[in-house]
Amino acid sequence: MDFNPCMKHQLIRKTVQEFAENEIRPRAAEMDKGPGFPEDLMEKMKPLHYFGLQAPAHLGGAGLDSTSYAIVVEEISRVSAALGLCITVHNSVGIYPILRFGTRAQQQQFVPPMAAGESIGAFCLTEANAGSDAGGVETVARKTDHGFVLNGTKIFVTNGGICGTILVFAVSDTVPSRSSVFIVENHTPGFSVGEIEDLCGMRANPVASLFFEDCAIPADHCLGTMGQGLKIGLSALDTGRIGIAAQALGIAQAAFDESVSYAKARQQFKQPISRFQTIQNYLADMAVQIDASRLLLYRAAACKDSGRPFSSEAAMAKLHCSTTARMVTNLAVQIHGGYGYSREYDVERYFRDAKVTEIYEGTSEIQRMVIARDILTRPT
Amino acid sequence: MLHIIVCIKQVPMVSELPWDSKTGTLKREAAQGMMDPSARRALEAALQIKTGMGQNQAHIIAVSMGPPMAEEILYEAKALGADQGVLLTDPCMAGADTCMTAFILGKFITGHCPDAGLVLCGSMSSDSETAQVGPQLAEVLDIPAIGYARRLELVGNCIRVERHVDDFMELMEMDLPGLVTIDHAGESDLYTPRYVALGGVETAFKAGDVRLMDGAALGLDKNFNALTSSPTKIIDVYSPVTGKENRVLTGAVKKMVDTLFDDYGKIISSAMGKDLKTHDHEGDV
Repeated sequence: MDFNPCMKHQLIRKTVQEFAENEIRPRAAEMDKGPGFPEDLMEKMKPLHYFGLQAPAHLGGAGLDSTSYAIVVEEISRVSAALGLCITVHNSVGIYPILRFGTRAQQQQFVPPMAAGESIGAFCLTEANAGSDAGGVETVARKTDHGFVLNGTKIFVTNGGICGTILVFAVSDTVPSRSSVFIVENHTPGFSVGEIEDLCGMRANPVASLFFEDCAIPADHCLGTMGQGLKIGLSALDTGRIGIAAQALGIAQAAFDESVSYAKARQQFKQPISRFQTIQNYLADMAVQIDASRLLLYRAAACKDSGRPFSSEAAMAKLHCSTTARMVTNLAVQIHGGYGYSREYDVERYFRDAKVTEIYEGTSEIQRMVIARDILTRPT
Repeated sequence: MLHIIVCIKQVPMVSELPWDSKTGTLKREAAQGMMDPSARRALEAALQIKTGMGQNQAHIIAVSMGPPMAEEILYEAKALGADQGVLLTDPCMAGADTCMTAFILGKFITGHCPDAGLVLCGSMSSDSETAQVGPQLAEVLDIPAIGYARRLELVGNCIRVERHVDDFMELMEMDLPGLVTIDHAGESDLYTPRYVALGGVETAFKAGDVRLMDGAALGLDKNFNALTSSPTKIIDVYSPVTGKENRVLTGAVKKMVDTLFDDYGKIISSAMGKDLKTHDHEGDV
């Protein structure tokens, strides 16, 4: 068992770190005042394949494996979790379901502009009465002679304010018992974006409600088969969880790095606070949890790449990485003392950004359900 | 078809490394490596020349000499757009000084790239800053060389080179084949290296065709030892320690100035190159 990253993964990490440190870090705190991402930054990211991480080369993507994908999201999120969120949602629950369930024609129509970053992806499952309960979707898709007409409201949509290609979960009158997934483009009449949410963290990401009022789409914009919504959703979320785990890990790593340098520099009682056992214990606990998170994450990614089931592994990674992000950012603020509570220091942002990783793409409670179900259904 | 050889080097990502007192060389394995920034500018120059020439008019070979871990920068070079990557690696090459490095690179170029038209190097690497390998390689290859170039332009079978020396901009033309070293920190951003595209990394590793060549493949004598063959011997490597004595002068301004001149007048005078006590201040503006 080799725990050392291979040369490709090392180079991917250095490549992303170079871009993130030079281009994103100087603007991360300003971006947090949000919402939205600087246009010129997005333009620089487009030709470098950040918007087509796992899309195949013939559709304009980088064709990366899942471990590389996790490394990219981790390193972007280490600098700006909100931009990491944009990237991971766009790539995992935006593009991936089209690659996995889409027809060849759908892939050729929708993926190239998405992989080029010209059309940002969004995933619309959550509604006022649906979220963890994916079966509670109330958005409807009425069958017509030409296709479908969608009506409903989606809330807390990541990338909502900048999305171009939207995967919408709706219940159709032809298969009323199960949800289906429809691909809606943002120029479709009847589609509109609500106000950008005023959130605790991830403030650069324009999270918004999306409205569909008599939104007519062609019949070939249904993804997969009718009634396949839950399957597509769960599959997308399994992949998405690897991304969110990577994002949470990036936040934790950033908070840890800041804490180590601060603890070495901050003097109290005529010595650096890193000399105090309490601070050392904090740093040791943070390091252990981060390392465990990284191992769980890479195992989940490796499982996916090898074609093995990875649902439970991804849930474990997401659960542990997000718990770690909350715990580590909390200790980071504690180590920084009053400075950590100030917006002048990045750990304050990390602290706010970390919490939601325990909520979206399946709450920690849902992850435990997924893990427990896998344990209890294993053959004995 | 112009064959361009770009010599690249892997350097440590940190600024200070432990060194091996027996060999007088840096313990490079102690740090993560990266492509030397100056060499990356040379590769950028090659890529721009290739783009300017049109399809299939230029062929770029990136070559490095170093330990096996240096293979990474050749994949990086391929990810950036080099057509071929070659790593010259063998325990017998360890400990090479600039002279032996140039000799080994020269062996590769003469033996395996006889059509090389343009050889590009970084002007100096960030870890040793000797600026010697480029010119020494030109000597080995017996071709002309120009150092510290800011801008290159192909004109027929010549290369036009612009470089900034002191307050002058020099414009030169050199027949090819020739060697040019690219300025390591030009004010112009012409050769600021592009970022690596992620798809390029994936493609480079998928092809997996970075070529590894050992001493035998290069035709080096089987008893060749770069360390013992190197004429340069490093006697000591250390970080200079500068002892600073800080003293804060207090009191009225006149008292402070008097104390400054009484206690430090000689030091200040020697630094300024004139005697402060006898200098006539009336003429000063």
